[in-house]
Amino acid sequence: MARKLCLVMFALLLVASMAFAGGAAETGGKETLSIWCGYPEMEAFYKYAAAEYQKTHPNVEFNIVTHPLREFEQKLSATIPSNTVADIIDVSVYANQKFIEAGFMPKMPANVDQFVKAPGRYSDFALKNNMYKGDVYGVPFFQGRTSLFYNTEMFAEAGLSGPPKTMSEMYEYAKKLAKYDAAGNLTRAGHSLRISGQGSGVAEKWWFVLYPMGGTIISEGKAPGTYHAGYNNDAGRNALKFYVDAVHKDNWDDHKIKHDAEAFQLGQAAMFFRESWVIGDTAAKAPNLKYDTALVPSDARWGRITNIQNLYVTKAAKNPDLAWDFVLFMVNDANQQWMLDNVGWLPARADVKLDEIIARKPQFKAFIASEPGYEEFGYIPIGPFDELMTRLAERLVTAFLDSSLVDNPAGIAKVISDAAAETNQILQRYNMFGE
Amino acid sequence: MKRISTESSPGRKKLSETEFKKRVFAYTAILPVILIFGFVRIVPIFQNFLYSFFQSTIGNPLQQFIGFTNFKDLFADDLFVLSLRNTTYFAVFVTLFSVAFAVLLAALLSTRSKASALYETIYFLPVITPMVPVAVVWKWIYDPTYGLLNYVLSWVGIEPIGWLVFPNTAMVAIIIMSVWKIVGYNMIIFLVGMRDIPESYIEAARIDGASTMQVFWRIIMPLLRPIMLFVLVISTINSYNVFTQVFIMTSGPQGAPGNAVRTIVFDIYENAFRYFRTGYAAAEAVVLFLIILALTLLQFGISGNKERREKRRLLRKGGLV
Repeated sequence: MARKLCLVMFALLLVASMAFAGGAAETGGKETLSIWCGYPEMEAFYKYAAAEYQKTHPNVEFNIVTHPLREFEQKLSATIPSNTVADIIDVSVYANQKFIEAGFMPKMPANVDQFVKAPGRYSDFALKNNMYKGDVYGVPFFQGRTSLFYNTEMFAEAGLSGPPKTMSEMYEYAKKLAKYDAAGNLTRAGHSLRISGQGSGVAEKWWFVLYPMGGTIISEGKAPGTYHAGYNNDAGRNALKFYVDAVHKDNWDDHKIKHDAEAFQLGQAAMFFRESWVIGDTAAKAPNLKYDTALVPSDARWGRITNIQNLYVTKAAKNPDLAWDFVLFMVNDANQQWMLDNVGWLPARADVKLDEIIARKPQFKAFIASEPGYEEFGYIPIGPFDELMTRLAERLVTAFLDSSLVDNPAGIAKVISDAAAETNQILQRYNMFGE
Repeated sequence: MKRISTESSPGRKKLSETEFKKRVFAYTAILPVILIFGFVRIVPIFQNFLYSFFQSTIGNPLQQFIGFTNFKDLFADDLFVLSLRNTTYFAVFVTLFSVAFAVLLAALLSTRSKASALYETIYFLPVITPMVPVAVVWKWIYDPTYGLLNYVLSWVGIEPIGWLVFPNTAMVAIIIMSVWKIVGYNMIIFLVGMRDIPESYIEAARIDGASTMQVFWRIIMPLLRPIMLFVLVISTINSYNVFTQVFIMTSGPQGAPGNAVRTIVFDIYENAFRYFRTGYAAAEAVVLFLIILALTLLQFGISGNKERREKRRLLRKGGLV
C-alpha cells in the first residue's frame, strides 16, 4: 500500500517538474531572451540582430516567434494578463495601450528613458503618441508611414505621366487603370482599397481617405481627455461615398479580386496605400515589378498616418536588464539602417542617416519626405481606441457591400451617423466622451 | 482474513482488506485528475457565473457589482442579438444536415463489405484533422479568384462567386465546411448503432413482407432513437460553440465580413480578450450555457415523450408485457 502511494506521489512530482521545466530562462549559465512580433517579415531582422548581439554576448540565446498581426494581438490579450508573454514584444501603441493602462506593462529604466528622450532622437510626434501620464513605456522601433504605391508600367500604358496629387485625381486615375474581362468582371483594380476582413484594419485604411477630406476617427472634446466621433460630418460621408462609388458605381475595385500587397505584386492592382515594408516584400516576391511611391494625395487637407511600433520589455521578463540592453542594441544606428535596407520598415529614430539607402532604393523617398503642410496623424493612445476602430470597421465592411448606398446620400448619412453614435457610446462607457 | 467494516447501515456488505486497499489506491490515483478537472473546468464555470454580475476586466475581475446590468445590456446590444441569430441559424442547419447525411452514409455502409472500412476511414478523416488547417484549406477552396470551388463551377459556366465575401453566401460556406467536418463522427456513431441491431429483427420484418424503406423507418430508426438523441445533443452543443472556423475564415483582407458570420463564442472572445470586457463576456457565456441547457432538456423531453407514447401504443396492442 505504502509502495503504491509512493509511486503515485512520485508520478505527481514528475508531472509537476515537467510542467514547470519550461519556465526557466537561465540554464547552465545561458540566458534566453524570448521575442514576439506581429510582423512575420521582421523575423529576418531579429535573427540578424540576435546573431550580432551574440558576438559580444555568447551566453545569450534567443527564441524568436512571429505571427500575423491580428493573431499576435489576440495572443497578447491572453498572455500579458497571465504573465506568460515573451520577454520582449514588438507592438504598436494602439494595441498595447489597454495593457499599459491596466498596469500590466513595466516602466522603462532610467537609462532607457534618457535614451528615448534625448533631444533630436525621436520626433515630437513619436514621443507624444507614445506617452501615458508623462511616461514612455516602449522604445520607438519602427514606424508605419503610409504612402501611395503605383505601378509605373500601368500608368505609362494608361497615358498617365505621374502619380495623382489629389483624391479626386486618384479616383479618376483608378477608373482609367481598372481592367475588365470580356464578361465585364474586374480583373485589375484601379486602386486596391481595404473593403473586407477582420479587425480594425478596414477602418484604418478608410482613415487614409477620411483624413485628407477633413475628418478623423475621434476628435478631442472641450474638456481634456475627452473625445467624440470625428467623422459624423461631410468628410465622413464623402469618404464613405468614395468607397461605395469605387466598388458599386464605377467598379474600379471589387470584393471578388485579390487585395492589398498581394494584388499589387501580382499585377492585379495599379495603386494602393501601404507602409514601406511593401518595398522589402516586393523585392523578395516580385523583383521585376516596376513601381514607385508617392505622397498620399490631398483634398481639403494633406496628411499621412504614422503608427509607431515600440519595443517593450514585459513583466514576464526574467532578466529585464538584459532585455532592455538588447532593445537598445536593436535600435542602434547600424541596426536601424539594416532594418530599412533589408526588411523595408522605416526606422523610428529621427537621427539615423538613411541617405545612402534611399539613393539605392528611391521608393523609400516618399516615406521620408516631409513637405510643408503634409501632416502626420496617428492612433490616439487611449484604451478603447482599438475597440472603437474595430466596431467602426465592422460597420464599414457591411456598408461597402451595400450597393443601395450608390447615389443615396440619406443612406450614407445614416450609416455614418449610426457608426458615430456607437463610437460615442464606447467613449461614454469609458468616461471619455466630450463634445 | 481480517475484515474491515466500512458500513454505515446494516444492509451494506463488508469490504475485505484487499478490496478496501484497492479502493483507497483507486481513489488516490484518480484524485489528481479530479482536482485538475475541478480546477480547470468546474471552478472557472462558477467564476464565470460570478463575474457575469460584475463590471470586470481581466486585470480586475470584481471591479464593481452591477447585478443584472450586463444581462440587460446584452439584449440591447445589436451585435449580441445578431450573434445569437447567426449561431442559431448555424446550429440548426449544421445539426440537421450533419445528422441527415450521417444517417444516410451509415445506412449505406452498414452492411459490411471489403470497401466499407475504406469509406469509413475516408469519411472519418476530416474529424481527426485539426480545425485550423481545415479552415485555412477551405478558405483557399472558397477563394473567389483562385479557389477550387469556383474553378469546378466554371466548367458548367457558373460565374465566380465570392463565397466568403458576401453575407448571404458566407454563412452557407461555413455551414458546408462544418457539416463536412463533423458528418464522419456522426456517421460512425450511427453505424455502431445500426450494426448493433440484431439481424433477426430485420429478417423477421422481411419475412413479414416489409420493404427496405419500411425496415429503415419502422425497425432501424426507432431502435436508433437513443443514439439519435446522443448525436442531436452533441451536435447542437458543438454547433452552438462554433468559433475556430469563423475566426479563421474572417481573418485577413479576403476574409468573410465579420458580422455576417458573427457567432456567440466569437463575440465572447472579442469582448473578453480584445476589449477586456470580461464581465460582459461572462454574461454572454451564461446566456449561451442556458440556451444549450434548455435545448438539451428539450431534446431529452421530446425523445422521452416519444418513448412513452411508443410504450403506451405497444401496451394498448398488447405487444409489451
